Amino acid sequence: MSTITVPEGSPITPDLIETRAPSKLPAGHSVSPDHNLTPQTMCPAFGSLRVLTRIDGVQTAMVTDTGCLYGLTFVTHFYAARKSIAAPAFGTKELVAGNVAEAAIASCIEASKMPGTKLVAAISLCVAETAGLTEEMLPKQINGVDVILVRVPAYAIHSHPEAKDVAINALLKRYAPARAEVAEDGVERPLTYDGSNEEEEALRRKVIMLGEVFPADPISVDAVLKRLGSGLAATLPSRNLDDYKLARRVGAIAAVHPFYGGSVATLRAAGVPIISGAPVGPEASYNWIKAVAAALKLDADLAERVAVEERDKCKAVINQFSLNGRVMVCGYEGNELLYARLLVEAGAEVPYISTSIQKSLYTAADEAWLKARGTREIVYQKTLEQDVRALDRYKPDLVLGTTPLSAEAKQRGIPGMYYTNMLSVRPLFLSAGLAGTIQLIRDALERAPRYEWMREFFEGPRPPESAPAPINTMD
Amino acid sequence: MTDSNDLTNRAPTADESRAPIELIRDLESTSGYWAAVWTMCTLPDVHLICDAPIGCFNLVATAVPDYTDAIPHIHNITPSVMREQEVTMLGTAGAVRRTVEALRQLHPDKTLIVVSTAESEMISSDHSDWLSKLDPPVPFFWSQSLEGDEWEGRDRALLWLWNRFGRERAVPLSADDAQMVNIIGPTYGCFNSPSDLHEVKRLIEGAGGKVNLVYPFEATLKDTPRLSRGAVNVVMYREFGEALAKELGRPYLFAPIGIRETTEFIQQLGDLLGARAQADAFIAREKQTTLAPLWDLWRGPQGDWFPTTEFAVVAGRSYTEGLVRLLADELGMKLHFASGRPRRPGEMDNIQIRETLHKKQPAFLFGSLNEKIYLTEAQAKATHFIPAAFPGAVVRRALGTPFMGYSGVVYIVQEIVNRYYDLVFNFLPFDNVAAAGQPKEVANPLTAASRLVWSEAARAQLDRHLEGIPWISRISASRELRAQVEVYAVRHNLREVTPDTVEQALAATAAQR
Repeated sequence: MSTITVPEGSPITPDLIETRAPSKLPAGHSVSPDHNLTPQTMCPAFGSLRVLTRIDGVQTAMVTDTGCLYGLTFVTHFYAARKSIAAPAFGTKELVAGNVAEAAIASCIEASKMPGTKLVAAISLCVAETAGLTEEMLPKQINGVDVILVRVPAYAIHSHPEAKDVAINALLKRYAPARAEVAEDGVERPLTYDGSNEEEEALRRKVIMLGEVFPADPISVDAVLKRLGSGLAATLPSRNLDDYKLARRVGAIAAVHPFYGGSVATLRAAGVPIISGAPVGPEASYNWIKAVAAALKLDADLAERVAVEERDKCKAVINQFSLNGRVMVCGYEGNELLYARLLVEAGAEVPYISTSIQKSLYTAADEAWLKARGTREIVYQKTLEQDVRALDRYKPDLVLGTTPLSAEAKQRGIPGMYYTNMLSVRPLFLSAGLAGTIQLIRDALERAPRYEWMREFFEGPRPPESAPAPINTMD
Repeated sequence: MTDSNDLTNRAPTADESRAPIELIRDLESTSGYWAAVWTMCTLPDVHLICDAPIGCFNLVATAVPDYTDAIPHIHNITPSVMREQEVTMLGTAGAVRRTVEALRQLHPDKTLIVVSTAESEMISSDHSDWLSKLDPPVPFFWSQSLEGDEWEGRDRALLWLWNRFGRERAVPLSADDAQMVNIIGPTYGCFNSPSDLHEVKRLIEGAGGKVNLVYPFEATLKDTPRLSRGAVNVVMYREFGEALAKELGRPYLFAPIGIRETTEFIQQLGDLLGARAQADAFIAREKQTTLAPLWDLWRGPQGDWFPTTEFAVVAGRSYTEGLVRLLADELGMKLHFASGRPRRPGEMDNIQIRETLHKKQPAFLFGSLNEKIYLTEAQAKATHFIPAAFPGAVVRRALGTPFMGYSGVVYIVQEIVNRYYDLVFNFLPFDNVAAAGQPKEVANPLTAASRLVWSEAARAQLDRHLEGIPWISRISASRELRAQVEVYAVRHNLREVTPDTVEQALAATAAQR
């Protein structure tokens, strides 16, 4: 065992170093059986960039080093928007000169020159944060274009879904500030509301959905809400900047994904009721419709009828296409619990779920629901090593994972799909969203022989089966 | 609120007399840290620890190489996972140490290397001292990620590997090694390198050489001393790798692009290897085989078309200079502009390239995703974009798409001619069968346009608009622009088309888009 020498004068408190005999990996393992080394998420900052670059009239100015800038520009141009990105050169020279703010402002000016720009978002990343870029250093406007600072150092925000929240919250703070008054009836209302405006009154009966969803989902949600006498005013993140300005004027916010804690707090402070949970599968769809009706004080009998009808439609879809197999749901998008619920209701066994986001108030209901229905482990802020060990334990028929995990599954001849690319691009909500997702999963389960054939072609025949690993849920 | 004029037009204050702030658009070259990862992780007996927040790890090891190198992820790299407490209080030594300990158990047969990142350099996390006191010591590579660029970084990483793992165990060249040739260069993140490497190997063998080591792409760390057994070094790219070739002290050549350069490359390599007769015979054979399609296309109708066609290049130094040599100097195509990476003084940066492409587009643009975005912004439908550089999502793992060597000449010319055929196809008139059953919504206004009178000035105005359009598309574009103006004139009951009509009509059409 090697010894560790801690350098003199180091501010580090030496941690207790476990002394283990050096061990080769057991057969079939490609990651550590003992350690959790590799957290799974896109660069957290990408979540913010994705939200912001997709808004019409928003230009971004990224304040960061060149490696970070190159990588984030690349993924933004691949996954978010075909939009040119401005930045200052930002290295030792600029840091020594101490002109972080000047550099940020110069790139904001460059970004604001694009015709039609309404807002420039200055994205402050790890090195700019460490150098101390603060909101007070930036102007609120440049040439009539609004400027906001979005602070997303990857060392402090641990997942890219949570960085989406940071971006949306920054927009809400600018365009839907938390000012409210308590009227005589005891109801908090934003200052813009005077109770006499017809348009405002209509808006107060509507809902804004908070959560990045496939474009077909808002359409089916709106259709159901209209039957209740309500409707969908917008979905955030939105491509329309004006939608953010509506956020404190609607009757309720439906936070359909569990990682918008910051935005939810801002809206709650503005006096807007929040509905958590999402309409996935029969039971959750029923509950969600009733919750919306309650929050908006809509006709309860009508809501019950619509909710039952939607639940029956979902059940009909499931009766038509049920699932049979063991699926691991291991993405890093933050909406894994929703997909898992849907798969469980459709008949799949989902013993293990993992995600990049942290455990919170907003994950509690789904977690309890899933654990009551056979899910043995739910891992938050997961690492690749935890996921691969689960692959050993649960021997799934299908893995919906990150790219390294899906690759690991395919290497073992198990069908695998990159969760982000395959599941985030189809509808999910209500009965309309069910069919497409279930069929995708069914097809993948049925393709299993191809995965085994391809594995054998490249890797040769399997060695004789060793004793199955005992299922260990101590992670 | 700050006065906007003050911000954009103010005079610099006293302490701002220092260097002006340099602005970047859509950065095309990455940092020294990425260069180190992409160089060292190609060696399978190395496992890298990057002293990084999770984002720096994810981008370089998974998110980007998924789409540049078509691999699921780089498997032999682990982050120290720097978090807020490491940045603000603890420093990263503890996190690095835990990672080293874990990886020692997991991969006892691998050499661990710790590499710095921009953020670790920002907080001055230099671990070289304590890492060197471990048993066995762990090498630490300061990647200089806050200075320099990808190209300097790649050079530094290659030199460091040689100095640290090769030089001391180098063996003197023996008589057996007289034919041995190293190829220096390909790593992760090198556009199109599998095809180019395949072709360069073919040329080396044709000229009488034997490939000794492809470093680092087809080597292990333990192979590093074997670099000394190359009688000649071939440097794949002008943008990096030459520093290592100089250090090795043997004659070196750059991998060639274009007809003349490829021929000279084979001849020079033949001379260096004492195999000139074999090299000359290879060239003669190549003219009859690999290169024959070029001779045929040159003599055919396709060859007439090259001098009328404009192209532009934004790519790595090797590709930029190589494409200009082949397409402009040898085939006679017109060069709109070229800008290599790393950029030399006088070459356009992305801000200037963007402005240039917004004004005028060539028929062919070799470039990265950035230029493709600028073409999209300019709505340049008549320009063919051909991937020739990263950044950009493109699979280039097949061996049949080289830009280098004789095969590269034929591949590039074939690409251009095929895209030209596409262009012709797209401009041919056709009957829309799917729409044929539907009634026409409006009578064709152009039937009334035959009565319109065009002033001379209006014609000249239309011609000026056409100048921004690639030549090959101009005939159909002139038809289209003229139709737009005439439809506008008819709808506004005009008898005569004036320069103002042209401007208004084209502006109105642009607005409709």
